[in-house]
Amino acid sequence: MIPRGRQIHKTFNNIKITILCGFVTILVLRGTIGIGNLSSSEADAVNQNLIEETNRVLAEIRSDKDPDDPADSTDEPQFLSLNDTYTLGPKIVGWDQQRKVWLSQNPEFPSSVNGKPRILLLTGSPPNPCDNPIGDHYLLKAVKNKIDYCRIHGIEIVYNMAHLDKELAGYWAKLPMIRRLMLSHPEVEWIWWMDSDAMFTDMVFEVPLSKYSNHNLVIHGYPDLLFEQKSWIALNTGSFLFRNCQWSLDLLDTWAPMGPKGPIREEAGKVLTANLKGRPAFEADDQSALIYLLLSQKEKWMDKVYVENQYYLHGYWLGLVERYEEMIEKYHPGLGDERWPFVTHFVGCKPCGSYGDYPVEQCLKSMERAFNFADNQVLKFYGFGHRGLLSPKIKRIANETATPLEYMDQVDIRRPVHGDESSGSSETKS
Amino acid sequence: MLGAGKFGTPAQDLDDLTTHFYAARKHGEPHRVLVEAQPENENGSENDPKNYATFDFNKILKDEGGEEEKPDPNKPYTLGPKISDWDEQRGEWLKRNPNFPNFIRENKPRVLLVTGSSPKPCENPVGDHYLLKSIKNKIDYCRLHGIEIFYNMALLDAEMAGFWAKLPLIRKLLLSHPEVEFLWWMDSDAMFTDMAFELPWERYKDVNLVMHGWNEMVYDQKNWIGLNTGSFLLRNNQWALDLLDAWAPMGPKGKIRDEAGKILTRELKGRPVFEADDQSAMVYLLATQRDTWGNKVYLESGYYLHGYWGILVDKYEEMIENYHPGFGDHRWPLVTHFVGCKPCGKFGDYPVEKCLKQMDRAFNFGDNQVLQIYGFTHKSLASRRVKRVRNETGNPLEAKDDLGLMHPAFKAVKVDDSTM
Repeated sequence: MIPRGRQIHKTFNNIKITILCGFVTILVLRGTIGIGNLSSSEADAVNQNLIEETNRVLAEIRSDKDPDDPADSTDEPQFLSLNDTYTLGPKIVGWDQQRKVWLSQNPEFPSSVNGKPRILLLTGSPPNPCDNPIGDHYLLKAVKNKIDYCRIHGIEIVYNMAHLDKELAGYWAKLPMIRRLMLSHPEVEWIWWMDSDAMFTDMVFEVPLSKYSNHNLVIHGYPDLLFEQKSWIALNTGSFLFRNCQWSLDLLDTWAPMGPKGPIREEAGKVLTANLKGRPAFEADDQSALIYLLLSQKEKWMDKVYVENQYYLHGYWLGLVERYEEMIEKYHPGLGDERWPFVTHFVGCKPCGSYGDYPVEQCLKSMERAFNFADNQVLKFYGFGHRGLLSPKIKRIANETATPLEYMDQVDIRRPVHGDESSGSSETKS
Repeated sequence: MLGAGKFGTPAQDLDDLTTHFYAARKHGEPHRVLVEAQPENENGSENDPKNYATFDFNKILKDEGGEEEKPDPNKPYTLGPKISDWDEQRGEWLKRNPNFPNFIRENKPRVLLVTGSSPKPCENPVGDHYLLKSIKNKIDYCRLHGIEIFYNMALLDAEMAGFWAKLPLIRKLLLSHPEVEFLWWMDSDAMFTDMAFELPWERYKDVNLVMHGWNEMVYDQKNWIGLNTGSFLLRNNQWALDLLDAWAPMGPKGKIRDEAGKILTRELKGRPVFEADDQSAMVYLLATQRDTWGNKVYLESGYYLHGYWGILVDKYEEMIENYHPGFGDHRWPLVTHFVGCKPCGKFGDYPVEKCLKQMDRAFNFGDNQVLQIYGFTHKSLASRRVKRVRNETGNPLEAKDDLGLMHPAFKAVKVDDSTM
């Protein structure tokens, strides 16, 4: 028989140990599962799986891999060798005559509408997402910008996202597309190529086509930079117009051979760097190739090429974007030149890639400003404007009325108040 | 197999829609989370100013110009000053401007397709890419059919944000473009998948509003998905302005929209609990005021003016094998609408993989019809790569144009115009 005192003592010890063990257990449990209830850890695991799954899907979409690439895609890609001849397609002859006949047989698809020659604006971007998301956002804004300009001016748009010719990828991809569209659309008089990083900043200005009735290629540049200095930036192929005619097909055929990627493009790049002033060493690009071609075959081509610098068919962004506020204060849309640039072109920003030639902040701010500068000219028609050139928000600049057409008549870009050419009927056909 | 009827029946659509929508909106459902995958930063440091990956876009935005106008809480919401003579105003303008006719040809009204998205980048890293593909798709259809596009990126009225933002925009566009006969609203997550289908304009000559839907489901059942406001046509006239005025009151965000949401959930069949949306409000409006509006509303179910993606996207290969473009219906849907996918946002109602991959397929399905004009096609519905399907010849004008899309009849101009 245990003495009573010892019994009590023993009970106390048991209780102490129980409490101590319980305390330790609770501590351990807190450490592992946290203070919440047990089920939340399960939800966390599920959520984590979802996040991983989602990231996997996004990574797959953003990669360049394609489900239709051959399984053994580790093979070296096949390039044309230096001895191979590349052509854009079968030689076409007599295109001018073919086109004329087609047009006479298809009067419901005329090459001029309301007195204006039919223009088709061609632009595009690669089929996969940009290396970084902001690039896609600016591609979207740039296409909206082009949609707005083209709607106001009755121009059709083709947005290309396909590599029609695996040899001519990258900046060369425009060549097969231009040719393809010319041949499929004889009703189109002018094909206007415009880079995806170029934006319209004068919504009123129109290309003065009548100035070019004797020319087949209209391109922004400087004759002295071209002929005297042979500079690699004498012309800009980010925004140019090609007439739909035999001459253009021939020029495209002559232009293309430096393009096929691989050894041909590499070697051609060396020739271009050696012959053009200021050109860094890199593979042949379409702009340098065109400059070189026009210089070396001057007599054959230059009489039909209009090197334009009276307005910014292409306007290099640096030097323009900082002055938008000044322009708004002093000038007005419709000028198209350094007072109100027709096109602002973000050469070198490369927002779709990972790295550009300029600081990101500078590029993005400038692109946002250019977009809003142009958008203001569209929104004005509806009585709105941005709250600053860096603001996505808009404010009212004209009160709503019960007679909206009176306000509209004053601000309609398509039908100037002191109406003349835009109403179409009085213009003589060229 | 299933037979054509099964696709077009309201019951089938309804069942699919109800299960998906309702399940997704229940509390506690795990949302699919879209998180920016942190890019590997091999070369540059965190602070490399030329590296796009490490840049925070929100740094560059700046609002100027002081306080935003605040709505007067005592005044009931209106879309704008009441206009009662729009038909007369518009008629006068059209007479004064014969170069901007509202009909391009007989039976071919001038149409403006309206769509849009936020002026800020998507929360989801591939969202803007899908918006870009979606607008390219619309550009293609509209170019082939002679339709103009307005891509909106501006919030005209902060009170009517979200799905209601289309109302002030539509009103503004109708009043600013008297030359437009029909305004076609289309959501940014809807794509054209039949490039050859031209809308049957003569069918609508006596109506003012065309939406995909079914009479029984709207008027008899008051079903909240009895019609779809993701793709609809609205004629430019006084009736439309009045309709917009009658439609708008449930929209203003905050208390009004929340309370209206409760009414709609109570009154409409199958509607989950959430703030008032424009589609439910339209069902409610039509069902309760049929006498006022019904005779000018056409609920179209003969083709997919809006086609719910869930029942369409798996069938594309079958359609390619058995049918051809031009039907617009279950055999070859005019529009595939990715309801609930929300590629621009962080949260959608469906798994990311399913949504995005199917959007790629729908895009390619539509794109193939455009590429074939030029002799190309995608290597498969999942592939971005294209391959040649027609050799080039020295006689391009003799090329076969199987779908008749190179110079389609619905794009022809009136012969008189060309000789003006």
